[in-house]
Amino acid sequence: MPSNYPGFRYGADRETFSAAKVKALESLLIEKGVITGDTVDTVLGYFETEMGPFNGARLVARAWVDPAFKELLVTDCNAACEAMDFPEGMSGAEGEHMRIAENTPEVHNVIVCTLCSCYPWPTLGLPPYWFKDPTFRARVVREPRVVLSEFGVELDESVTIKVWDSSAQIRWWVLPMRPPGTEGMSETELAALLTPEAMMGVATVSV
Amino acid sequence: MFTKFEHFAATSLMGSPKEAPPRQNGHLQFDRAWEKMAFGVAIALSKQGHYEWEEFRQTLMATIAEWEATHDLDDPEWDYYQCWLATLEKLVVSSGVLQAGELETQMTQLLDCKAMADPSA
Repeated sequence: MPSNYPGFRYGADRETFSAAKVKALESLLIEKGVITGDTVDTVLGYFETEMGPFNGARLVARAWVDPAFKELLVTDCNAACEAMDFPEGMSGAEGEHMRIAENTPEVHNVIVCTLCSCYPWPTLGLPPYWFKDPTFRARVVREPRVVLSEFGVELDESVTIKVWDSSAQIRWWVLPMRPPGTEGMSETELAALLTPEAMMGVATVSV
Repeated sequence: MFTKFEHFAATSLMGSPKEAPPRQNGHLQFDRAWEKMAFGVAIALSKQGHYEWEEFRQTLMATIAEWEATHDLDDPEWDYYQCWLATLEKLVVSSGVLQAGELETQMTQLLDCKAMADPSA
Protein backbone atom coordinates (compact mmCIF):
# COMPACT_ATOMS: atom_id res chain seq x y z
CA MET A 1 0.00 0.00 0.00
CA PRO A 2 1.65 3.25 -1.04
CA SER A 3 1.63 6.13 1.40
CA ASN A 4 -0.27 9.31 0.63
CA TYR A 5 2.38 11.47 2.21
CA PRO A 6 4.57 12.97 -0.57
CA GLY A 7 7.62 13.05 1.71
CA PHE A 8 7.48 9.27 1.83
CA ARG A 9 7.54 8.83 -1.95
CA TYR A 10 10.71 7.89 -3.74
CA GLY A 11 12.49 10.10 -6.19
CA ALA A 12 15.11 12.77 -6.57
CA ASP A 13 12.51 15.48 -6.03
CA ARG A 14 12.04 14.46 -2.42
CA GLU A 15 14.98 16.54 -1.21
CA THR A 16 13.79 19.67 -3.01
CA PHE A 17 10.29 19.04 -1.72
CA SER A 18 11.39 18.66 1.90
CA ALA A 19 13.75 21.62 1.84
CA ALA A 20 11.06 23.80 0.26
CA LYS A 21 8.45 22.65 2.75
CA VAL A 22 10.62 23.49 5.76
CA LYS A 23 11.57 26.83 4.22
CA ALA A 24 7.88 27.57 3.60
CA LEU A 25 7.00 26.61 7.15
CA GLU A 26 9.71 28.81 8.60
CA SER A 27 8.75 31.82 6.50
CA LEU A 28 5.04 31.44 7.37
CA LEU A 29 5.77 31.19 11.08
CA ILE A 30 8.01 34.26 10.94
CA GLU A 31 5.37 36.16 8.93
CA LYS A 32 2.76 35.34 11.56
CA GLY A 33 5.08 36.37 14.38
CA VAL A 34 5.07 32.86 15.89
CA ILE A 35 8.86 32.57 15.72
CA THR A 36 11.68 34.96 14.89
CA GLY A 37 14.72 34.42 12.72
CA ASP A 38 16.71 33.55 15.87
CA THR A 39 14.37 30.96 17.36
CA VAL A 40 15.85 27.89 15.75
CA ASP A 41 19.43 29.01 16.41
CA THR A 42 18.55 29.47 20.06
CA VAL A 43 17.20 25.92 20.35
CA LEU A 44 20.14 24.39 18.50
CA GLY A 45 22.63 26.56 20.38
CA TYR A 46 21.56 24.85 23.57
CA PHE A 47 22.61 21.47 22.17
CA GLU A 48 25.71 22.79 20.45
CA THR A 49 27.23 24.99 23.13
CA GLU A 50 25.53 24.61 26.51
CA MET A 51 25.25 20.95 27.29
CA GLY A 52 27.34 18.28 25.64
CA PRO A 53 30.51 16.22 25.83
CA PHE A 54 32.64 19.37 25.60
CA ASN A 55 31.72 20.04 29.25
CA GLY A 56 32.90 16.61 30.39
CA ALA A 57 36.08 17.01 28.35
CA ARG A 58 36.90 20.32 30.03
CA LEU A 59 36.34 18.86 33.50
CA VAL A 60 38.60 15.89 32.80
CA ALA A 61 41.32 18.02 31.19
CA ARG A 62 41.40 20.33 34.22
CA ALA A 63 41.52 17.34 36.56
CA TRP A 64 44.53 16.02 34.62
CA VAL A 65 46.52 19.23 35.13
CA ASP A 66 45.26 20.25 38.59
CA PRO A 67 45.42 17.62 41.37
CA ALA A 68 43.28 19.69 43.75
CA PHE A 69 40.58 20.01 41.09
CA LYS A 70 40.77 16.29 40.42
CA GLU A 71 40.20 15.63 44.13
CA LEU A 72 37.12 17.88 44.00
CA LEU A 73 35.83 16.22 40.82
CA VAL A 74 36.16 12.73 42.31
CA THR A 75 34.67 13.62 45.70
CA ASP A 76 32.00 16.13 44.61
CA CYS A 77 31.35 16.22 40.89
CA ASN A 78 28.55 18.77 41.17
CA ALA A 79 30.79 21.16 43.11
CA ALA A 80 33.48 20.74 40.44
CA CYS A 81 30.90 21.68 37.79
CA GLU A 82 29.98 24.76 39.77
CA ALA A 83 33.63 25.78 39.90
CA MET A 84 33.65 26.02 36.08
CA ASP A 85 32.00 28.79 34.08
CA PHE A 86 29.30 26.42 32.83
CA PRO A 87 25.77 27.56 31.98
CA GLU A 88 23.26 27.68 34.82
CA GLY A 89 21.61 24.39 35.72
CA MET A 90 24.63 22.42 34.57
CA SER A 91 25.41 20.92 37.95
CA GLY A 92 21.94 19.44 38.21
CA ALA A 93 18.83 20.28 40.17
CA GLU A 94 17.79 18.77 43.48
CA GLY A 95 18.17 15.02 43.58
CA GLU A 96 20.33 14.88 40.48
CA HIS A 97 23.87 13.96 41.38
CA MET A 98 26.68 13.20 39.05
CA ARG A 99 29.54 11.03 40.23
CA ILE A 100 32.75 10.23 38.42
CA ALA A 101 34.62 6.92 38.69
CA GLU A 102 38.37 7.30 38.30
CA ASN A 103 40.30 4.91 36.09
CA THR A 104 43.69 3.81 37.47
CA PRO A 105 46.30 1.28 36.30
CA GLU A 106 44.51 -1.23 38.57
CA VAL A 107 40.82 -0.38 38.00
CA HIS A 108 38.88 0.33 34.80
CA ASN A 109 35.35 1.70 35.09
CA VAL A 110 32.38 1.35 32.72
CA ILE A 111 28.94 2.93 33.03
CA VAL A 112 25.55 1.48 32.13
CA CYS A 113 22.03 2.66 32.83
CA THR A 114 18.53 1.34 32.55
CA LEU A 115 16.56 4.56 32.16
CA CYS A 116 17.09 7.21 29.53
CA SER A 117 17.02 9.98 32.11
CA CYS A 118 20.02 8.53 33.94
CA TYR A 119 22.66 9.42 31.39
CA PRO A 120 25.00 12.21 32.56
CA TRP A 121 23.75 14.55 29.87
CA PRO A 122 25.42 17.74 31.00
CA THR A 123 28.89 16.23 30.70
CA LEU A 124 28.50 13.58 27.97
CA GLY A 125 25.76 14.94 25.69
CA LEU A 126 23.24 12.60 24.06
CA PRO A 127 23.65 8.85 24.59
CA PRO A 128 24.58 6.66 21.62
CA TYR A 129 22.01 4.13 20.33
CA TRP A 130 23.71 1.04 21.68
CA PHE A 131 23.86 2.44 25.20
CA LYS A 132 20.12 1.89 25.57
CA ASP A 133 20.25 -1.61 24.16
CA PRO A 134 19.18 -4.13 26.85
CA THR A 135 21.59 -6.67 25.36
CA PHE A 136 24.51 -4.28 25.76
CA ARG A 137 23.61 -3.55 29.35
CA ALA A 138 23.16 -7.22 30.26
CA ARG A 139 26.42 -8.21 28.59
CA VAL A 140 28.47 -5.44 30.20
CA VAL A 141 27.36 -6.68 33.59
CA ARG A 142 27.93 -10.36 32.74
CA GLU A 143 31.11 -10.25 30.64
CA PRO A 144 32.60 -6.74 30.76
CA ARG A 145 36.05 -7.83 29.56
CA VAL A 146 34.64 -9.38 26.40
CA VAL A 147 32.42 -6.37 25.64
CA LEU A 148 35.30 -3.94 26.22
CA SER A 149 37.49 -5.98 23.91
CA GLU A 150 34.81 -5.68 21.21
CA PHE A 151 35.07 -1.92 21.67
CA GLY A 152 38.83 -2.20 21.17
CA VAL A 153 39.75 -1.81 24.84
CA GLU A 154 42.14 -4.66 25.68
CA LEU A 155 42.80 -4.76 29.41
CA ASP A 156 45.42 -6.78 31.20
CA GLU A 157 43.99 -9.67 33.25
CA SER A 158 45.29 -7.93 36.38
CA VAL A 159 43.02 -4.91 35.83
CA THR A 160 39.76 -5.01 37.78
CA ILE A 161 36.69 -3.89 35.83
CA LYS A 162 33.97 -2.08 37.75
CA VAL A 163 30.53 -1.53 36.22
CA TRP A 164 28.50 1.41 37.50
CA ASP A 165 24.75 1.35 37.05
CA SER A 166 23.29 4.84 37.03
CA SER A 167 20.02 5.56 38.78
CA ALA A 168 17.70 8.54 38.76
CA GLN A 169 19.61 9.82 41.79
CA ILE A 170 23.21 9.19 40.76
CA ARG A 171 24.49 9.50 37.21
CA TRP A 172 27.89 7.95 36.76
CA TRP A 173 30.59 8.80 34.27
CA VAL A 174 34.27 7.95 33.98
CA LEU A 175 37.49 9.87 34.56
CA PRO A 176 39.89 8.30 32.01
CA MET A 177 43.63 8.03 32.58
CA ARG A 178 45.78 10.73 31.03
CA PRO A 179 47.69 9.13 28.16
CA PRO A 180 51.49 9.18 27.97
CA GLY A 181 53.01 11.72 25.59
CA THR A 182 50.72 14.56 26.70
CA GLU A 183 53.05 16.13 29.27
CA GLY A 184 53.41 19.53 27.61
CA MET A 185 49.79 19.88 26.50
CA SER A 186 47.46 22.70 27.53
CA GLU A 187 44.02 22.07 29.03
CA THR A 188 42.44 22.92 25.67
CA GLU A 189 44.67 20.45 23.83
CA LEU A 190 43.94 17.77 26.42
CA ALA A 191 40.18 18.37 26.24
CA ALA A 192 40.31 17.81 22.48
CA LEU A 193 41.58 14.25 23.07
CA LEU A 194 38.48 13.22 25.01
CA THR A 195 35.48 11.43 23.52
CA PRO A 196 32.11 10.55 25.09
CA GLU A 197 33.11 6.89 24.74
CA ALA A 198 36.26 7.44 26.83
CA MET A 199 34.14 9.11 29.51
CA MET A 200 31.76 6.13 29.45
CA GLY A 201 34.63 3.70 29.87
CA VAL A 202 34.28 1.95 26.49
CA ALA A 203 37.37 3.62 25.01
CA THR A 204 40.74 4.77 26.23
CA VAL A 205 42.36 8.10 25.45
CA SER A 206 45.30 8.17 23.09
CA VAL A 207 47.32 10.87 21.38
CA MET B 1 13.83 17.19 37.06
CA PHE B 2 14.92 19.07 33.98
CA THR B 3 16.16 22.61 34.12
CA LYS B 4 15.61 23.31 30.43
CA PHE B 5 12.75 22.39 28.10
CA GLU B 6 15.23 21.46 25.33
CA HIS B 7 16.83 18.92 27.66
CA PHE B 8 13.48 17.40 28.56
CA ALA B 9 12.30 17.25 24.94
CA ALA B 10 15.42 15.52 23.61
CA THR B 11 15.66 13.13 26.55
CA SER B 12 12.05 12.02 26.16
CA LEU B 13 12.89 10.79 22.64
CA MET B 14 15.71 8.52 23.82
CA GLY B 15 13.40 5.70 24.87
CA SER B 16 13.77 3.63 21.70
CA PRO B 17 16.28 3.71 18.82
CA LYS B 18 13.49 4.29 16.28
CA GLU B 19 12.09 7.44 17.80
CA ALA B 20 15.44 8.95 18.81
CA PRO B 21 17.08 11.49 16.48
CA PRO B 22 20.39 10.50 14.83
CA ARG B 23 23.39 11.31 17.00
CA GLN B 24 27.14 11.12 16.80
CA ASN B 25 29.67 11.49 19.60
CA GLY B 26 27.11 12.87 21.99
CA HIS B 27 25.86 15.46 19.50
CA LEU B 28 22.75 15.62 17.34
CA GLN B 29 23.63 14.68 13.82
CA PHE B 30 22.08 16.74 11.03
CA ASP B 31 22.88 15.76 7.45
CA ARG B 32 20.89 18.53 5.74
CA ALA B 33 20.16 22.13 6.67
CA TRP B 34 16.39 21.60 6.64
CA GLU B 35 16.68 18.89 9.31
CA LYS B 36 18.08 21.45 11.77
CA MET B 37 15.31 23.85 10.96
CA ALA B 38 12.59 21.19 11.39
CA PHE B 39 14.13 20.03 14.67
CA GLY B 40 14.44 23.53 16.09
CA VAL B 41 10.96 24.66 15.02
CA ALA B 42 9.31 21.55 16.51
CA ILE B 43 10.91 22.12 19.91
CA ALA B 44 10.38 25.89 19.84
CA LEU B 45 6.65 25.62 19.09
CA SER B 46 6.10 23.19 21.94
CA LYS B 47 8.21 25.33 24.26
CA GLN B 48 5.89 28.23 23.41
CA GLY B 49 2.90 26.12 24.39
CA HIS B 50 1.35 25.46 20.98
CA TYR B 51 1.27 21.72 21.71
CA GLU B 52 2.44 19.31 24.38
CA TRP B 53 5.78 17.67 23.66
CA GLU B 54 4.20 14.31 24.44
CA GLU B 55 1.70 14.95 21.63
CA PHE B 56 4.58 15.53 19.21
CA ARG B 57 6.26 12.36 20.45
CA GLN B 58 3.15 10.23 20.06
CA THR B 59 2.48 11.61 16.58
CA LEU B 60 6.10 10.97 15.60
CA MET B 61 5.80 7.35 16.71
CA ALA B 62 2.53 6.97 14.80
CA THR B 63 4.17 8.47 11.70
CA ILE B 64 7.10 6.08 11.97
CA ALA B 65 4.61 3.22 12.35
CA GLU B 66 2.85 4.41 9.19
CA TRP B 67 6.16 4.28 7.31
CA GLU B 68 6.89 0.81 8.64
CA ALA B 69 3.45 -0.43 7.63
CA THR B 70 3.97 0.71 4.04
CA HIS B 71 7.66 -0.11 3.51
CA ASP B 72 10.11 -2.93 4.05
CA LEU B 73 12.02 -2.60 7.32
CA ASP B 74 15.33 -2.43 5.44
CA ASP B 75 14.07 0.07 2.84
CA PRO B 76 17.07 2.32 2.04
CA GLU B 77 14.70 5.25 1.56
CA TRP B 78 14.02 5.29 5.31
CA ASP B 79 14.58 8.81 6.55
CA TYR B 80 14.11 9.83 10.16
CA TYR B 81 13.68 13.51 9.43
CA GLN B 82 11.03 12.87 6.76
CA CYS B 83 8.97 11.36 9.56
CA TRP B 84 9.87 14.26 11.81
CA LEU B 85 8.75 16.76 9.17
CA ALA B 86 5.49 14.90 8.51
CA THR B 87 4.83 15.00 12.27
CA LEU B 88 5.55 18.71 12.46
CA GLU B 89 3.15 19.38 9.56
CA LYS B 90 0.36 17.52 11.35
CA LEU B 91 1.00 19.36 14.62
CA VAL B 92 1.09 22.91 13.23
CA VAL B 93 -2.34 22.33 11.71
CA SER B 94 -3.94 20.39 14.59
CA SER B 95 -2.72 23.01 17.08
CA GLY B 96 -4.10 25.82 14.94
CA VAL B 97 -0.76 27.56 14.35
CA LEU B 98 -1.46 27.26 10.60
CA GLN B 99 -4.64 26.61 8.65
CA ALA B 100 -4.85 23.44 6.57
CA GLY B 101 -3.53 24.15 3.07
CA GLU B 102 -1.66 27.28 4.08
CA LEU B 103 1.69 25.55 4.02
CA GLU B 104 1.05 24.01 0.59
CA THR B 105 0.18 27.41 -0.86
CA GLN B 106 3.34 28.96 0.54
CA MET B 107 5.42 26.06 -0.73
CA THR B 108 3.96 26.19 -4.21
CA GLN B 109 4.88 29.85 -4.37
CA LEU B 110 8.44 29.09 -3.26
CA LEU B 111 8.82 26.28 -5.79
CA ASP B 112 7.37 28.45 -8.58
CA CYS B 113 9.90 31.18 -7.79
CA LYS B 114 12.63 28.59 -7.95
CA ALA B 115 11.39 27.29 -11.30
CA MET B 116 11.32 30.80 -12.72
CA ALA B 117 14.87 31.43 -11.53
CA ASP B 118 16.09 28.28 -13.30
CA PRO B 119 16.59 29.10 -17.01
CA SER B 120 16.71 25.40 -17.97
CA ALA B 121 13.24 24.82 -16.54
